[in-house]
Amino acid sequence: MKERLRGLGREPLVHFLLGGLAIFLFFAWRGTEADPASRTIVIEKGQVERLAEQFAQTYRRPPDPDEIDGLIRDYVKEEVYNREARRLGLDQDDSVIRQRLRQKMEYLARSSVESEQPGEAQLQKLLDANPARYSDGAVYSFDQVYLGQGDPEQVEAGARAARVRLAGGADWHDVGEPLSVPGSMEQATRSDIERQFGDRFVDGLVALAAGSPDQWHGPVVSGYGAHLVRLRKVVTPQAPKLADVRQRVENDWRAETIDVREKAAYQALLDGYTVRIEKP
Amino acid sequence: MRRLAGAVVAIAALASCTDQDGTAAMQQGSADRQVAQAPYPEQVYWGDTHLHTANSLDAFAFGNRLGPEQALRFARGEKVTSTTGIAAQLSRPLDFLVVADHSDSLGVTRRLYEMPPSQVTDPVLRHWQDLMKAGPRESQKIIGEMMVLGAKGGLPKAYEELSSEETTHSIWTEHTGIVERYNEPSKFTAFMGFEYSLQPNGNNLHRVVIFRDGKDRADQVLPFSSRQGNADPEKLWDYMDRYEQTTGGRVLAIPHNSNVSNGLMFELVGPDGGPMTADYARRRVAHEPLVEATQIKGDSEAHPFLSPNDEFAGYGVAGWDQGNLPFTIAKQPGMLAGEYVREALKRGLAVEARTGVNPYKLGMIGSTDSHTSLATADDDNFFGKHTGNEPNAIRAMETMDLGGKGRRIGWNFLASGYAAVWATANTREALFDAMMRREVYATTGPRMKVRLFGGWDFSAADLKSDWVKSGYARGVPMGGDLRKGARGAPSFIVSAVKDPIGANLDRVQIVKGWVDATGKTHEKVFDVVWSDMTRRQRGANGKVPAVGNTVKEATASYSNSIGAAELTTVWRDPEFDANQSAFYYVRVLEIPTPRWVLYDALRYGAKLGPDIEKVHQERAYTSPIWYRPAG
Repeated sequence: MKERLRGLGREPLVHFLLGGLAIFLFFAWRGTEADPASRTIVIEKGQVERLAEQFAQTYRRPPDPDEIDGLIRDYVKEEVYNREARRLGLDQDDSVIRQRLRQKMEYLARSSVESEQPGEAQLQKLLDANPARYSDGAVYSFDQVYLGQGDPEQVEAGARAARVRLAGGADWHDVGEPLSVPGSMEQATRSDIERQFGDRFVDGLVALAAGSPDQWHGPVVSGYGAHLVRLRKVVTPQAPKLADVRQRVENDWRAETIDVREKAAYQALLDGYTVRIEKP
Repeated sequence: MRRLAGAVVAIAALASCTDQDGTAAMQQGSADRQVAQAPYPEQVYWGDTHLHTANSLDAFAFGNRLGPEQALRFARGEKVTSTTGIAAQLSRPLDFLVVADHSDSLGVTRRLYEMPPSQVTDPVLRHWQDLMKAGPRESQKIIGEMMVLGAKGGLPKAYEELSSEETTHSIWTEHTGIVERYNEPSKFTAFMGFEYSLQPNGNNLHRVVIFRDGKDRADQVLPFSSRQGNADPEKLWDYMDRYEQTTGGRVLAIPHNSNVSNGLMFELVGPDGGPMTADYARRRVAHEPLVEATQIKGDSEAHPFLSPNDEFAGYGVAGWDQGNLPFTIAKQPGMLAGEYVREALKRGLAVEARTGVNPYKLGMIGSTDSHTSLATADDDNFFGKHTGNEPNAIRAMETMDLGGKGRRIGWNFLASGYAAVWATANTREALFDAMMRREVYATTGPRMKVRLFGGWDFSAADLKSDWVKSGYARGVPMGGDLRKGARGAPSFIVSAVKDPIGANLDRVQIVKGWVDATGKTHEKVFDVVWSDMTRRQRGANGKVPAVGNTVKEATASYSNSIGAAELTTVWRDPEFDANQSAFYYVRVLEIPTPRWVLYDALRYGAKLGPDIEKVHQERAYTSPIWYRPAG
C-alpha cells in the first residue's frame, strides 16, 4: 500500500488534482460563504457587485437601487436558509445538490483538457500507438469485370464464360455486363473503393492481395453482384508523419484525454475510500 | 459558478505547467493545404447540412448533452456514446457536416439549466428549470410549451433576455473553433452554419444558413436570430448581404420543412400580400438556391392532393399534413400548394412567366434535422429525431410532444435524409460552389449514385462510351439550364446506381413540370427505365406495374432478388413544346425495404399498431434541369 502511495506521489495527475483541490479550497475559504456555524452575515462590496453584474447579464441593464436592495435581501435570505439547512443536514440527501456537485467535479476534471496544448511527444506517442488509424492504408490498382446479379450457379456460369473469353484474348472492357462504376481504379485507398463498391468487395480484394498479378480472380462479390478482378498492384504506405495528420491526432488526443482524465480523477479519489457494499 | 470559473482558469494554468515539451504553437495549417481539384465532378460527396447539438435550445431540453465536437466525430465515422448511453456509429462516414444549431436563444436552455435558482425570477423560466432538473420525461415537456408560447409570440421576456450578445458571441466562437479543428480538406469538410428558425404563428419558415468560409470570417458575425426580423425572411437576406459585403465571404440559405409551413413557404404573393415582384423573386433565388426536400420531420417532394396521378406521391406525409409545426393551426387543403417542392417548382415557372424571374429555382437535398447530435438517416441505425426518441421499445407508437394536439405519432418520423453533392473536391469551397450551381440531389438515406445530363443531341449510342464526359461536354448536369436547341426536343442521360451496400432499384422517373401560354402549370411523371422491363410491361393505364415486395417483417429483412443494380437510359421528352418553360427532375425508387419501426420491433420487441407504415420505397430526388424558350 505504501509502495502504491509513493507511486501515486509521482503521478503528475495526482499533483494536478491536489493543486486543483488546493485552489478550490482557497476560493471556497476566501469567498463569502463563511463557516456555516457563524452567526454573522457580511455582504461585502464585491458580492453586491457580483449580484448587480448577474442582474445586468440577465436583463441587459444595471439594477436600480431598489432592485439592488431586493437582490441583497434575497441573497441574505438564501444565505440564512442555506446555513440553517446545512445545520439541519438537509444538504445531505438532496439528489439535486448531489448531482450538481458531481457535475462540478466532473467539469473540473474535463475542462482543463479543453484548453491544454498537448506536446509533440504526446501526439507522436498516440500516433505510434495506432498508425493505422491515421493512415489510408494500402493502395490498390485493379481492373474489374462485372458479372451481374444472380444465384451462385448463375454467377459461376457467368464467371466461366467470361474467363473463356478473356483467355481467348478478348478485350476485357468488352467482357461482362455494363455497370456505371469504374472498370479500373489506380492506387485507390480502401475508403475510395468502398465508396464505389461497398465493404464486401474490398474484403474480397484484400484477400486476393497475395495472389499472382495479371490474373483474373474471382468471382469477388460486391453490393452489385459478382466481379472478376485483376489486382495489378498493392502498395503499402509508410507510417503517416505527424505533421501530415497533426490536427486529427490532436482532436483525438483531446476527445480521448477528456474521458481518460475524468476516469482517472475519479479513480484517484475513489482509491482514497474504502467502499463496502452490502447487497440485500 | 463565477467562483468555479475562477478555479478552472487557475487549474488550466497549472495544467499547462505539466506539459513537459512546452511546444504550444497551434497549427492551423491544414485548412490552407492545397487539395487537388478534379477536372469535372467525378465524385459524389455525402453529408448532412442540418444537425442540432446541445447548443440548440430544444435539443438540450430534449435531454441532448452531446455538443458539436461529438457531432463532428460521429459524422466522420468515430464511435460515440449517445446521450441515452447507446454506442453509436455510422456504417459509413459522411464526407461533410453542417452543425446548424438554432440561432434563436443559442445555448440558452443550457444556460438556464446551469443558472443559480435564485437568479431565475420569472415564473415560467423557474417552471422550465424545475422541469429540466426533474428528469428527461419532464424536461421534454418544455419543448411543446416553448413552441406553443412561441407560436403565440408569448415567450417570457426574461427568456429572450437570457441570450445576450455576449453569451451568443462566446458560444459561437467556441463552436467555430471546434468546427475549424475538424475541417480536414479532402477528408472531411466541417461547415460553419446555423439555423434561422422563423416561425410566424407556428408556421415553419426555417432556413439553414451555410458559410463557405472559415473561422476568421464567420467570427465577424453572430448567427442571425429570427426575432430580429418580421414574418418574412427578407431580414435574413439583408444579414447575408451584409456578411458578404463586410467579410468578402459567401453564404447561402436552405429552407426546410415547407410541409409544416401551412402554405407560407412557397407563396405566389410577396410579403405585402400583392403579386410577387421581380425584385423580391430575384432576392429569393439569389440567396436560396436549394431546398431540403426530405428529412426526419417528413418528406416535402410531393403530396397526393396536388399530384393525384402520381401513385408514389404520398411518401412521408402522414401526420405532417395535418397542421403547422406545433399544431396550433390545422391544415386546409388549399395550403398544400405552398408546401410541396414540386408545386413550388411549378409556381416558380408561373411567377417567371409573369415577372421574368423564377423565385423557386430550387435544387434538392435531404438532411436529417436530428437533434441528437447524431446524423443518422439509415433505417437500420436510426437514432431518432431527438434524445427522447433514441432507440427504444416505445418510440414508434408514442404521441409526439411537439406541442398542440399531439396528433402525430412516433412512426411518422422518417429515417431521412442525406445531401449528395457532385463536386470537384471535398472542401468547403468546392462543395459550396456545387450547392450554388445546384449540382446536388436528395436521398431519404441510401447512397445511390444518380447522374442527370440534359442536352439536345444525346442518344442511346452515348451510353457505349464515357457518357459522363459527353454529358459535361455536350449538355448540362442537374441544376443547369437548357436554352432553345437547334432542333427537336431535349434529351437526357439518366443513370442511377444502387447504394453499394443497400437495396436494388425499382425504377427511375422523370418528373416534368411546365407552364402553358395562359400561365397555368402542369406536371407529369414519366417512368423512363425500370428493372426487368421485358416482364414488367406498362399496363392499360400507362403505368409500370409494382416491382413486388421481398420484405420479411418478422426479421426486418429484404432480398435483392428483385430490382436492378443499375438503371441507365437516354430519354427524350415526347411532349416537348419549345415555347413552354419547363423543368425536369429525376426520382429514383428503391425496391421495398423495412422501415426503422420493424428494426425496433426486432431489436426491442416494440409493439406496432395496425395503422403504422412498416415498409417503404426509399428514393432520391435530383435537382431539376430547367428549359426556357430563348429570349
